[in-house]
Amino acid sequence: MEILVNLDVMMAKRKISGGELAERVGITPANLSILKTGKAKAIRFSTLMALCRELECQPGDLLEYKE
Amino acid sequence: MPVNWDNDKSAVLSRVCVAVFAAFLLALDVGAYRLSAWFAQVRLMHRQLGVLLTVSIYAGSVFAWICLYQLWRLLGNVRRGEVFVPANVRCMRLVSWCCVGAAAVCALSAAYYPPFAFIAVAAGFMALIVRIVKNAFAQAIAMKDELELTV
Repeated sequence: MEILVNLDVMMAKRKISGGELAERVGITPANLSILKTGKAKAIRFSTLMALCRELECQPGDLLEYKE
Repeated sequence: MPVNWDNDKSAVLSRVCVAVFAAFLLALDVGAYRLSAWFAQVRLMHRQLGVLLTVSIYAGSVFAWICLYQLWRLLGNVRRGEVFVPANVRCMRLVSWCCVGAAAVCALSAAYYPPFAFIAVAAGFMALIVRIVKNAFAQAIAMKDELELTV
């Protein structure tokens, strides 16, 4: 079981690049990459909130629990 | 004159102390035989006990050299800013086991010269302290790894 990060999907839907999203959210492109590739061990509420704000979505659109 | 003391200078001082201890240890290794003979003479011990004392010194010296080398490496890593890294945990684990080894040598040596028992207890206690610090370091590394992957 794992938590999947569907950031790629939302970014494609909103037609936004990684660099632009990272800048708007206030994190480095390297950290965004860690998040996208599923290497992250944790995500701050502030980061999740900023991502939801910029991508106009809910946390559930970005995170998915998989058995 | 103001003293601008910082962590780097403190690490340098620690390295100097390690070097001083290494010099003492070298002197002990070189003069172990004479020192043992002199000690046996002063304490009116049997000559064979003097030989045993030499053996104890050299056996303990092996652990002391390994310990000093590991401390030197540890301080080198700290100076480079590599504090919470697995290499330092390995260094501390080795230092701890060296203390256990030295405690064992002293405990055995207490059979012919009882005051060695006090050094054995002190070395054992030192091993325990280093081991607990090592455990804390290992935990800190795990926490640091997790924090580094927190976005």
